[in-house]
Amino acid sequence: MSSSEARRLVLRNDLTELQRLAGWIEGWAQRGVSADVSFAIQLCLEEAVANVIMYAGAKDSRLVIAVDVERNGTTLVARIEDNGRHFDPTQVPPPSVAASLEEAKVGDVGIQLIRSFASGMDYERRDGCNRLTLRFTEPQTASQRSG
Amino acid sequence: MDIAVEELAAGITKVGLRGRFDTTGAVLVELPFNKIITEKSRIMVDLSGVSFLASYAIRVLLVGAKIINGRGGKLVILCPDNNVAKVLRTAGMDALIPVLQTESAAAAVLTS
Repeated sequence: MSSSEARRLVLRNDLTELQRLAGWIEGWAQRGVSADVSFAIQLCLEEAVANVIMYAGAKDSRLVIAVDVERNGTTLVARIEDNGRHFDPTQVPPPSVAASLEEAKVGDVGIQLIRSFASGMDYERRDGCNRLTLRFTEPQTASQRSG
Repeated sequence: MDIAVEELAAGITKVGLRGRFDTTGAVLVELPFNKIITEKSRIMVDLSGVSFLASYAIRVLLVGAKIINGRGGKLVILCPDNNVAKVLRTAGMDALIPVLQTESAAAAVLTS
């Protein structure tokens, strides 16, 4: 396996596309990625793309979502770009903590999951597109630390 | 995504879920799961066969727990895998729905 590897997937504005995304990223992440980072990248991409499909212009057939993943050594970078309405997930406040089931609000946990499972999250609006960049870092093994 | 229902002692219903509980899986099990929620009052949701959990699945579990709680019943979660348990904690679900590691512990909470 080379130390640098990149792949790209283009998705339509349809929730059924999440199944294609899951198979694509699962296959990619099986090669040389730890189980925890594989889980994290699958979760964050599912949440980010589902968010775009559900909220960025659900009835707009012109909406296109492109997902790029790149591995460089122990760092994995995922970029999700869409031409939907402006939405910056980094500015979404954390959900409030419910004291009981009665008070608990349903929903709004996807971005919280991305914040927790990704090592870093950046957003920019460029040329009429949202671009979300997520980073994942493999924990160093003892031999890597000593080398 | 598979769903299996087993009736245990003391009126407990064990709902075993297996596979990827992602958005696609959650949409598939939402209807049969909600049917169980409306018919039963002591529900143990076994996530030990679930390898992946996304926010839509959390929505399904939370809605079910709220409905049962509103009727005076209980819903608990059994045996999640490490990363599945981390998703539940990150979403704050472990503070709202009891998460147990053994069937006997889950049964004790449901019958208390």
